Amino acid sequence: MPRTENDIAIVSYAQSPLLRRSENTETEMMLSTVQGAIKAAGLGKGDIGFTVSGSCDYLSGRGFSFVANVDAYGAYPPINESHVEMDGSFAMYEAFVRLLQGDIDTAVAAGVGKTSNSDPATLYTIEMDPYYLTPLGADVASLSALQYRALLDSGKVTERDVAEVVARNRRAAKDNLNAQVSGDFDVDELLAAPYVRNPLRRHDLPPVTDGCAAVVLARGQKAYELCERPVWITGIDHRIEPHLPTMRQDLTSSVSTRLAAEGAGVASGPVEVAEIHAPFSFQELIVREALGLGDDTEINPSGGALAANPVMVTGLLRVIEAAKQIAENGRSRTLAHTTSGPCLQQNLVCILEGDQ
Amino acid sequence: MSHQPVAVVGIGQTHHKKRRADVSIAGLVREAAQRALEDADMDWGDIDAVVLGKAPDLFEGVMKPEMYLADALGANGKPMFRVHTAGSVGGSTGIVGSHLVSSGRHKRVLSVAWEKQSEGNAQFALGGGKSGSIGAGGAFAPFIRAYIRRSGAPEDIGWKVAVKDRLNGAKNPYAHLKLADITIEKVKESPMMWDPLHFLESCPSSDGACAVVFTDEAGGKAAAKPPAWVLATAMKSEPSTFAGRDAVNPKAAHACSDEIYKQIGVTNPREQIDCAELYVPFSWYEPMWLEAHDIAAPGEGWKMTDSGATALDGDFPVNMSGGVLSSNPIGASGLLRFSEAALQVRGLAGEHQVPGAKLAIAQAYGANAQFYAMWAVGSSLDPLGS
Amino acid sequence: MTDTSIADPSNDMEPFNLQFPFTRTLGNTLSTFFSAVAQGQLIGVKVGGRVIAPPLEYDPETGADAGSEWVKVGPRGTVSAWTYVPEPTHLHPVQGPFAFAFVTLDGADTPMIHVVEAPEDQLRSGLRVEARFKEGDEVNGRIDDFVFVPATDPSPSEGAGEPYQAPAEPEIQTMDAYCDLTYVDNAAPVTRVWTQALLEGKLVGRTCPQCGRTFVGAVSLCCVDAIELDESTQSEMPQTGVVTNFTVITPVPYPGQKETEPFVRCSVMLDGTDAVLGQQTIVGIPASEVRVGMHVALEWEPEGQRDVSEIGNGGHGSTGGAVVGWKPTGEPDEPAENYVDRMM
Ligand SMILES: [Zn+2]
Repeated sequence: MPRTENDIAIVSYAQSPLLRRSENTETEMMLSTVQGAIKAAGLGKGDIGFTVSGSCDYLSGRGFSFVANVDAYGAYPPINESHVEMDGSFAMYEAFVRLLQGDIDTAVAAGVGKTSNSDPATLYTIEMDPYYLTPLGADVASLSALQYRALLDSGKVTERDVAEVVARNRRAAKDNLNAQVSGDFDVDELLAAPYVRNPLRRHDLPPVTDGCAAVVLARGQKAYELCERPVWITGIDHRIEPHLPTMRQDLTSSVSTRLAAEGAGVASGPVEVAEIHAPFSFQELIVREALGLGDDTEINPSGGALAANPVMVTGLLRVIEAAKQIAENGRSRTLAHTTSGPCLQQNLVCILEGDQ
Repeated sequence: MSHQPVAVVGIGQTHHKKRRADVSIAGLVREAAQRALEDADMDWGDIDAVVLGKAPDLFEGVMKPEMYLADALGANGKPMFRVHTAGSVGGSTGIVGSHLVSSGRHKRVLSVAWEKQSEGNAQFALGGGKSGSIGAGGAFAPFIRAYIRRSGAPEDIGWKVAVKDRLNGAKNPYAHLKLADITIEKVKESPMMWDPLHFLESCPSSDGACAVVFTDEAGGKAAAKPPAWVLATAMKSEPSTFAGRDAVNPKAAHACSDEIYKQIGVTNPREQIDCAELYVPFSWYEPMWLEAHDIAAPGEGWKMTDSGATALDGDFPVNMSGGVLSSNPIGASGLLRFSEAALQVRGLAGEHQVPGAKLAIAQAYGANAQFYAMWAVGSSLDPLGS
Repeated sequence: MTDTSIADPSNDMEPFNLQFPFTRTLGNTLSTFFSAVAQGQLIGVKVGGRVIAPPLEYDPETGADAGSEWVKVGPRGTVSAWTYVPEPTHLHPVQGPFAFAFVTLDGADTPMIHVVEAPEDQLRSGLRVEARFKEGDEVNGRIDDFVFVPATDPSPSEGAGEPYQAPAEPEIQTMDAYCDLTYVDNAAPVTRVWTQALLEGKLVGRTCPQCGRTFVGAVSLCCVDAIELDESTQSEMPQTGVVTNFTVITPVPYPGQKETEPFVRCSVMLDGTDAVLGQQTIVGIPASEVRVGMHVALEWEPEGQRDVSEIGNGGHGSTGGAVVGWKPTGEPDEPAENYVDRMM
């Protein structure tokens, strides 16, 4: 299909090393990553039409923590700029919409998270309903475990199926230089591990990761000027569901993922590779079903969120991994997925395509 | 290109108060959203997407509260987006919402911005949870001192702004402060908080929310009440600090209004624009912004204030709603500015209406006077008749 | 900076406890529910043809007002999913091992997420449980006023599904919410360089090779040019300067606030440089006598008593407890108009 000035592509990307604990601040990670992505597109900081990042104050425990990160842009003379308290993939969504305004033709979107400063066992209790859940210390692992239990009780999957998800992601991560957790694991041995939140075992949880990622987007002809093989964003949508997991229509199927997949046009062609953001192993199976993917779609060649999980970045990393499959690996149609909130409350789906 | 006209067809806000003891967080945002829907003659089901904005989550102690608020705002099954650009966030929330329509992504979008400051303590949050927080007043007082010296403005300019905005606020049924009996004397005699800023020259700390419904051109033309047309939007940022940065008259502030004026063909803002809602949390920011946005020449902004030009019956009214000095639910404050500009060109501003306003601008700023969001709204798509 | 390096745990800073006592107001629905809880009664709200418990102000499906058609639910209910927490954190409401579960109360159509105190081997979907309420002084009217325990009598709850008559003025109007999180940051390499210099009684700055600006403090990049400033760009800074701007702050009380008297924060331009340090402390002069253009010199805490533990990453020239403050030198003032615009 011929591209128009309304078509928007990823033309370059960069990511920091993904580490259990980085020496550097969010701003420092942003500097090398954002400027790295801009340079990879053959551009300088002054060539970018719009800059947007995603990060979270409560990861660092400081209000306005993103303000210092503007220092990484060299924003003088002043720049067109925005920030979302969301994953970097949502920052990319804002950049995508901003490019559609038509007055600029390049944008950079980033996500950054110094996750290691906080304790995931306690931090996410304050992301929950402040009246009904936070006072109970309802932690994200416990809520995920309830979802997993509901999934097992539905008979759709077994614990063995889920252990196989873990083994496959970790095996795939062996080829990902940035993976924190990788290797060959025996499913029976995984199933013999103790529960941390029955039925979740330690290996069903994501690692704690510090990191940053950035993509440069360009519109229409500009994309061809900046790279050899633009990765066109041919569909992107995101949807949310009621917050309380007990108010969802069906906790074992992700309605919001299905709606986002419809909006992004997933079914209008084959998906060769899907990068699914499933911070808890079993969620990959729920998302995969909601996306309507067949057995011929390769899932998470990067190892996914189980290999590295820098919060506020993991979703944008899925986009980058899916884009790499097109730009560097000869694929022509891939999918990236991001989730946010307890029990897959919010989901973003993005379809990427290369020219034939 | 795909840029399509956008109309504001619904505006709602809460009654802002020091403490809205009668509502939960959900209740607060729903109060504003339901008023906006009612104004637009719509129901929750008519909305395609929701954009939520607020300042730091540390203010209420709820992380990413858009998660908890998703179904409270009727977003089940819809896109929900969360913006956070410091003090300018209310403005950004409006701009991002309008872009979802102008890009053709959605037909009807609800933007909601809020803060419930009484749940916690802003000084605590601004101080990073540590002792010795200088607060926003402490951060901006040096800029104001520099402006006063640079412009040679007399000391009573700040007091005059404080009085003027509170008198406007007294006409606004939703305003937090309604100080109809305020006087220059009272401002001058109020305690010195952040020298040279007195207590009554400073914004209050409020609970409140604001909501706006955007539609495409067809929706705007079909609206029961007059729409406001979004004619231009801009968001500009610069770093917090570096040697030689001019924080009094920041380049980003200029760049933001330059872009707005260029988009709508304004060459003489004071003549061509009917009124402005500018983010003035501390009195002196009125003359400072008049200069930064080229409504007055450098060093001349205070003369507009002094002459009464910025009063409700002046030739360039500023902060008709009473502004941030009358109500300051931080995250919502920017969208309240944007909404007031829209109310003016819709002719629906009630007692604080500028007669015949056709073109209005609104601005919000944040952090170390480094983040800017602005828009221009008109009573028609071509209010200058070009 | 080297992005590839994993932080050495010995560079971890002191844990930072983010603690704050939030007070939430409730609105009618939550007030009605929590007031009923305080009386040992659980309720739901009838909305969209089903009973939601605990009640919401809105129909989560549509956003429509849920109204106030209250319905008695429980105190017994049925577990439909569960997980086990073998080692609770300080934020969990019970100290020993417990379960989280979906509990559908008798008379309700939706489950609630709550605590079940039962041995792990008793937990199963379909387990009948009953609410056990706190009593006497322990009652707060909060969601953690009760936990579920295995029901001694599994039969249906009496009165469940019947209308609940709410008091006109529900007793519980607010909820205390204590935020208690701990953060451990690690000192970035530039922060370590900066604090080490302070311990040695030195100020250091890094000068950008592109724009020539000097950044004093734990700053490793030029925010104008977006380039890294490594140690090769670093030099020692003078310890005298001129006050360019200031404010006197009247402290506002809040939890954790230690300041009680008005205090001065000033900007100081270091002699012979273009660098301005913001938010500096001034000593040896009453607040009312601080002037723009005044010459000042840095007064250090004695060696061995310099505390840099409060200095975090990214502070622009924060000197923490290493210095007493800037003290007037007594030299004649510089003309204020030459400095007042240089607040940074
Ligand atoms: Zn430089």
